[in-house]
Formats: sequence, structure tokens, C-alpha cells
Amino acid sequence: MSKRAQDERSRKAAEAIAEQQRREARRRRLNIGAVVGVVVVLVLAGFLYTRIADSSTDVTAAAAGTSEYGVTVGPDGAPHEVIVYEDFLCPFCGELERKTHTKLQELAEAGKVQIDYRPFHLLSPAYSSAAANAFKVVLDASGPKVALAFHNELYADQPDESGPFPDADWLVDKAVDAGAEESAVRPGIEGSTQASWVDAATKSAEDSGVQGTPTVLLDGKVFQDGRTIDDIADNLIEAVS
Amino acid sequence: MVLSRVPPATRAWLGLLARLVVGAVWIWAGAIKLPDPAQSVQAVRAYQLLPSAVVPTVGQLLPVVEVVIGLCLVVGVLTRGAGVLSAVLLVAFVVGISSVWARGIEIDCGCFGGGGTRVGASSAYPWEIARDVGLLLLSLYVVWLRRSRLALENVLFARPATTPTPITTTTEGA
Repeated sequence: MSKRAQDERSRKAAEAIAEQQRREARRRRLNIGAVVGVVVVLVLAGFLYTRIADSSTDVTAAAAGTSEYGVTVGPDGAPHEVIVYEDFLCPFCGELERKTHTKLQELAEAGKVQIDYRPFHLLSPAYSSAAANAFKVVLDASGPKVALAFHNELYADQPDESGPFPDADWLVDKAVDAGAEESAVRPGIEGSTQASWVDAATKSAEDSGVQGTPTVLLDGKVFQDGRTIDDIADNLIEAVS
Repeated sequence: MVLSRVPPATRAWLGLLARLVVGAVWIWAGAIKLPDPAQSVQAVRAYQLLPSAVVPTVGQLLPVVEVVIGLCLVVGVLTRGAGVLSAVLLVAFVVGISSVWARGIEIDCGCFGGGGTRVGASSAYPWEIARDVGLLLLSLYVVWLRRSRLALENVLFARPATTPTPITTTTEGA
């Protein structure tokens, strides 16, 4: 074979090899691209799904003052409406209450906001339902003003979630401090006569979509504006001031 | 480093083991949370660490990202990237748990579903941090190793073989 023909063959072989390497490199790039594409699609599709399935803010509660399961302060037709779903034992509820109730209730008295406190039984210890029962007993026997004061008292002196838990006598004392007649509330507190109301209040909260406590609604929308409970408390007061 | 005395083949098999362990934990952790994004969002919120505007997005995105990282590690595609992301997330979790521990907040870490306040939860914090640090080390090993056994990317992303090309020296057929 001539030198020329040999060179020609070498050149062709080199081209073939280079071509194959190009094809392999291209295949590699395509594969990487395909895998990255699949990963991106999976993340986006998953995120879309969880975003739609996230029911945290899907709470549709009866308007303030229209529920049978709460106590209301502030006038109908106030410019803002706040609903607080809470458990008497939940520590975050206690923190929120202690930070807000004085100021919020002042604002309510001034006609700026109507607040509807709706206690229910979320946490398992018996104190949670005993306190909610006592709240309803006081509400029926002594009216909303005393029930509201009783509610404030219970949070001001909230027991630790891990116990020890106060007994019925303690609840009676708190009710009397709030302005109730002892004889009017003792039998109901000791006999848990409002247990079925507590169950109904709990069911009502769950039916409304409440998934945890405290759940605060400002003008019908779940209010979670703030990093910490303290932030949320401050922002809530600011929003209705 | 001790690892440099381990034979490369053993290292590559250990890499597979690390990928499977970390990957399986991620898939498990994410899959439990996927059906209940509201719970996941609540778990993130309970740390009281992130601005409320980003809490829902983080809570919704986290389970998805966890599952996808886990799949990448188990199957063995984009393993270095998945390893880096895994390490970053684990550092974030260690920071989060340390932070609630330091602030005296008692919450379920929400690592495998659940979340929110729980009485006596802080007793689990040291173990949760230790577990996350262990997974973090395994993730970093995967990143450091680059290539491990039985990874799909070894086939899919194989670099073209750089065969020597003895073109000019050929005498065949002369």
C-alpha cells in the first residue's frame, strides 16, 4: 500500500474514533440532562402536590359571636374580628394569652375589635377538659363577663403541661376570684356537667378545620404573622389597633 | 486520614453502604410527611426560627426534597450533589434542634412526621443531634468518595473511554 493510502486510512480511523468519542460525550450529556430534568420535575410536582394538600389555613369558622362554643367581648360590627381557638393547657396558648389578653380586651372595650375565645379539648390530660367544662359552667351560671375573667385567670396561672394538675377546688377558687357564686358553680365543676358541651365544642373546632392550638383567626383568616408566639401576639395587637 | 489506608475497592463498597443508609433514612423521613403537609408546616413553625412568610413553603417543600435526595442516593444518580444537599439539610436540622434546646422549647423534632409541642421532648434532643451528625458524616463521605459501587450514574454518566490512538504507527497491510 502506498504511503498516501496509508495516511488516508489512519486519518479515517482517527476520525471514526473521534466521532465515537463525540457520540459518547453527547450521550453522557443527554443522560445527565435527562436525570436532572427528572429530578426537577419530581421536586416541582411534589411541591405542587404538597402546596395544594396543605390544609393549614383552611379554617372556616362561624363568625365571631355566632358560635355556641365561645365567649365574646367587644361590639358586633367592630372593624376587626378575632377568633381564638385554644386549649387551657396548651403552653403556646398560655403565652399568647398572657401577652395579648389585657391589651386585646381593652381594644375590644374601646370598640376596635370583637374577640371570640373558643376553648376546646385538644391535649390529653384531664385538666384540659376539666378547665373547659368549668369555663362553660361559669359562663352559664355567671355570664360572659365573669367567664372572660375566669378564662384570663386560668391562663395567668396556667399549670405546666407535664403536671401536677390542679383539682376541682382550685378551679372553683379561680371561678370565685373571677366573680362567680361558689354555690352556683361548684356542683357543675365537680360533676363535670358540661362534658358533652366540651365534646361538642371540640368537634365543632375540628369540623372547622382547626388542627392545633392556638389557632387565631383575624377577620376570618388564619393569622400566623410572626416568627415566635411573642411576635404573633405583637403583630395581632398591632393589626387590630 | 484513616480512610486513605482502606483499599479503594473497600472504600467504594462502603460508599454504597453509606448511600443506602442515608438514602433510606431520607426516603422514610420524607414519605411519612408527604401525606400531611399541614403537619409538616406546623412542625417547621414550632421551631419558631423562620419568618412566618417562608414557613409554609419550607414545610411543604421539605418532605419532597427529602424523598428526592433519598432516591438519588439509593439509585446512585447525582450522588455528589445529593450528598452535599443532604449534608446541608442535616446541618440545618442540628442547628434547629440545638436552637430549641437552648431556648428551652420542648417540641417533637418532626423528623419523621409529628411535630409541635410535646412534654419532655428535650430528653430526645441529644440523641436526635447525634443521629443527624452520624448521617452528616456518612453524607460527607459520599461527597468525598465521588464514585461508589452499584451507582446508576457509573453506567449512565460514564466518561468516554480515552483509548490511545496508535494511528500513525500502524503498519498493517503495508
